[in-house]
Amino acid sequence: MVQLTLPKGSAPKKGKTWPKPQGATNLRQFKIYRYSPEEGGNPRWDVYWVDMDRAGTMILDVLLYIKNNIDPTLAFRRSCREGVCGSCAMNIAGQNTIACTKGFDELPGGVITIAPLPSQPVVKDLIPDLTNFYAQHAYVQPFLKTVTPEPEKEWKQSEEDREELNGLYECILCASCTTSCPSYWWNGDKYLGPAALLQAYRWLIDSRDEATGERLDDLEDPFKLYRCHTIMNCAQVCPKGLNPAKAIAKIKHMMVERVS
Amino acid sequence: MSYGKFTTPAKNARGLGSAKSGTEHHIRQRVSAIALIFLVPWFMFSIINAMGAGMEAAQAWAGQPLNAILLILTAGAAIFHMRLGMQVVIEDYIEKTGTRSTLLILNSFACIALFVTVALSVLKLWIGAGA
Repeated sequence: MVQLTLPKGSAPKKGKTWPKPQGATNLRQFKIYRYSPEEGGNPRWDVYWVDMDRAGTMILDVLLYIKNNIDPTLAFRRSCREGVCGSCAMNIAGQNTIACTKGFDELPGGVITIAPLPSQPVVKDLIPDLTNFYAQHAYVQPFLKTVTPEPEKEWKQSEEDREELNGLYECILCASCTTSCPSYWWNGDKYLGPAALLQAYRWLIDSRDEATGERLDDLEDPFKLYRCHTIMNCAQVCPKGLNPAKAIAKIKHMMVERVS
Repeated sequence: MSYGKFTTPAKNARGLGSAKSGTEHHIRQRVSAIALIFLVPWFMFSIINAMGAGMEAAQAWAGQPLNAILLILTAGAAIFHMRLGMQVVIEDYIEKTGTRSTLLILNSFACIALFVTVALSVLKLWIGAGA
């Protein structure tokens, strides 16, 4: 449902300005979204000054610098620190991406804002609640489905058929695309969103999968699939350079193909 | 549809299940768009040509069989396409089932009324021109 204003108690207010690190010459200002369910009240924007000579090269390094040197209470998810796990997805300088592969040199000038992924409930600080996102991923049944008895050794696939999966299998489920989609903001309870649909297409065109028809049946819905209005935010933000909008367009082609 | 706080995530994600529809809407929207690619330039060109020639000349132009047919086709494709587009806008932005259904019905009524009005007006000129 369209909400042009944030729900009550959700609008971030001015927060604390943390002291500048001593003796630093190369300072950069970061405005970071803070929310703690234990403390209650509205979220707030805290201001941090980071010594860029000591903070590494990526935004994740900035967050770790803040956590280690300025404010240990700052909460965020991170794990692999090399763009594989998708844990550190957040909104950096207005764009969803993963903090670990976003370098300083890619940032615009001025103050950098860092917020949790938009439109999802916030667990704490930069940690969004992705329960619905994961449930929608489970809805597309992202695994091989067959009726033929399993071969003794393996399901074979030609090199050409395997190539079809390039640009799809790389998705790390960071949710940057889905939470950047306005259609998902308005109808996220019903629209599956770009990430789940990209995964759906990944199984739809897998030469080994035998459930293509059932998969299309489960997707053919004005809301689950057809809320994609080719806004293209998904392709713009994907930190892995994938194009979910194209995958969704191909699902729509398959839908047309089976009725005409 | 929203549920209470003890429902599982899977219950929410599955919702009311797949409606097994939407493809027809998608095809209609694309096909009417293809028709409009041809009809709209013709319509714009004709309107610009007709401007300044006066009311009677415009009526005579619209009364010619080919022009009348193309005018009705243009109005039909445009209004049909508009109805589909408005339907999507309403579905996007209106969550309350009752309000949404009411607006969807009104959308259909308004579009049909608009088309009938345009079509009959053009027919009147066509038939009147032949009399």
